[in-house]
Amino acid sequence: MKLNITRNNLGFSLTEIMVTLAMSGVALGAILTSSISLQKSFNAIDTYFGTHMQQIRIVDYLSRDVKRGLIVTTSADLQTVTVTVPNYIIQKGDPEAVANPDLLNTPRNPTVAYTASGPQVNYGAANSTVVYSINGQSILRTEDGNVTTIASSTDQLVPKTTDVELANTECAKTTITFQPIFTSGGSVAAQSGTTIYSTAYLRNKRRG
Amino acid sequence: MRFKRPKTEGNVLICALCTIMVISIIGANVLQNCTTRFNVSSSQVRSWKESLFAAEAGGDIAYAEIRKTMLDPTHAFTGWDNSGGKHVSLVTTFGANDLTTSTVVDSFYTDSGGNPWYRARTRGTAPVMGLARTGVDDRMGAGTRGDSLLRKIDFRTDHFIASYGPNGDGVGKATVAVAKPQITRRIEQISAPITPFEAAIKAAGTFYGLGSAAYIDSYRSSVGPYDPNVKNNPSDSRYLDARSGTVEINTATATIQGNIYGNLYTNGGAVVKKSSSVSGVIDNNVPFSLNDLEMPSTATWNYVASPTTVNPNTVINPPTVNGLPRAGTASSPNYYLITNFVSNGSLTVNPAIINGSPQDTYVTVSVTGDIGNSTSSQPSVTVPAYVHLKVYFTGNFQTKAENIINTSGYAGNLQFYAISPTDPSVQQTIDLNSGGGSNSGFSAVFYAPSANFTINGAPDITGAIVCKNFYANGNVHWHYDRRLDTEGTAVDYRIVSYVEDIR
Repeated sequence: MKLNITRNNLGFSLTEIMVTLAMSGVALGAILTSSISLQKSFNAIDTYFGTHMQQIRIVDYLSRDVKRGLIVTTSADLQTVTVTVPNYIIQKGDPEAVANPDLLNTPRNPTVAYTASGPQVNYGAANSTVVYSINGQSILRTEDGNVTTIASSTDQLVPKTTDVELANTECAKTTITFQPIFTSGGSVAAQSGTTIYSTAYLRNKRRG
Repeated sequence: MRFKRPKTEGNVLICALCTIMVISIIGANVLQNCTTRFNVSSSQVRSWKESLFAAEAGGDIAYAEIRKTMLDPTHAFTGWDNSGGKHVSLVTTFGANDLTTSTVVDSFYTDSGGNPWYRARTRGTAPVMGLARTGVDDRMGAGTRGDSLLRKIDFRTDHFIASYGPNGDGVGKATVAVAKPQITRRIEQISAPITPFEAAIKAAGTFYGLGSAAYIDSYRSSVGPYDPNVKNNPSDSRYLDARSGTVEINTATATIQGNIYGNLYTNGGAVVKKSSSVSGVIDNNVPFSLNDLEMPSTATWNYVASPTTVNPNTVINPPTVNGLPRAGTASSPNYYLITNFVSNGSLTVNPAIINGSPQDTYVTVSVTGDIGNSTSSQPSVTVPAYVHLKVYFTGNFQTKAENIINTSGYAGNLQFYAISPTDPSVQQTIDLNSGGGSNSGFSAVFYAPSANFTINGAPDITGAIVCKNFYANGNVHWHYDRRLDTEGTAVDYRIVSYVEDIR
């Protein structure tokens, strides 16, 4: 009797397996590398866009305060901006609120005073002071001592504001740049390419 | 013949599904991030800015109505709810994005001239695209918030009414649903009256003058008498008051001579600052407009029938009421209608005397026609102390500077108003001639927006002039009294204060 032995020849030879493993390794490496690059790229772009939105936020904060501002001054390095704004809302501890707590968080009534430079509209006896400054990687807005972080990024946001006093009006010109993290070497061009510009005029300092 | 089915197809399906799932997760993550950024950049930032545009547009509408109270009183605040001492506008919808705005105007202050100051509180609303569940971008850092502190979006309810009430005064707090996401911003603007005499010289047309040795300076009579040395003494507390002799010209034609201790404004002129000629700023981009002057309402004035002609020795004494001379008030002066001011007429207006003491006496004279009509004319007007005289005239004015006699020395006590001709082809003129010297001057103000004003000679003038074209060729010493900037009935309004309610 002769055994009918069926040979299973569906397997792979060692050579085939070696070749397959080599090709799979290359393919897997490529996929991994691509995935990591894609993830880095996505993070970089997301961070870039997020930082850009923070640029806009800084500009919007500044514009809002400058428009309602009475006086704007900037530091020598242009990175600290001080805006004097009318003290429109009665805050906790203000004399009006102490005298009548119901007035807390309500708008003040304007008063008119005649000064050497002409009639002047006042809200309360004193004005508020808003200071914009840089602290590490954060941009701070400090109003009468209350600190708010309005922007924070590892992309090194750098706002610079110039106070421009024209013949009979005044404006604050702001540029904000940042250093995108995905660029190599931190080139000047990469930073300057992120610049946005803003000009806000003081509404309370008018012509004529 | 039997085919053997491959045993590996289930693995392929699982692999394919896993791949699709991984790719879908990655895609969803990317889409979520992009959507958040897109909502902020495309929708929320835009709406935040548009809501301010809407508020400022509403402020402009309110400002236009406030100006009408001066320029077109009949139609001021027409269509608004004018009750309770306030003017409340309807809600105006405009723009491609259906922006809305509404304003509440009230008068919060009345100055010494009787002119009201107006406060306009305006809200502007812009819809925010996207669904109500869309959030703001607060991804910034641990313990910090990003956009939600700045751009306060009402996704489902109006946060302002809920926290501060509809008027922001804490009254009527309620949870009010919004139809769709929106941003509302609120601003408050103060409109102040523009008084007629806020500059030493204001010319709507061309300007020539003064003489090469002339000067314009200023002082404030409520602080002290004029002192020529103050303008050169920075340590003097009146120094600023002494350097406010501002000249405003609404054309580019400005021939400036002499010294101006104050600012100089032109409309497109090319005036260059010389260290000795203008002490203040020169701004060649300050346009303004002067409206024709019409005779104001006399409804509250106390009409006195006589005299109607001013002859060489006409004296006006106050009328007697209940045995006492009527001194009148600024809003209800004694009013005389003069139909003939002869070429050499002389008008003297006396104060009311009660118990031997002169009283502040308010008199208004309206002259139909000219006051002096040729170079040989020498009409005169004399006001003793305590008399506040306003002279309205419809024709020309021609006399010598020394014939304008104001004993008090305060220019606000003698005010001339030139009613604009109804015929635009008629050119109104005011000519003052003088031989010069301190005795040839006068203290008075002229408001003549349609008249050409000419001064020959070198008089000393204390006061202010508003005119069309200005010409002076003498070495005039012109002293503007800063007290005049609150004198006279307002001629227009300007916005002097801007505040945003950032709550």
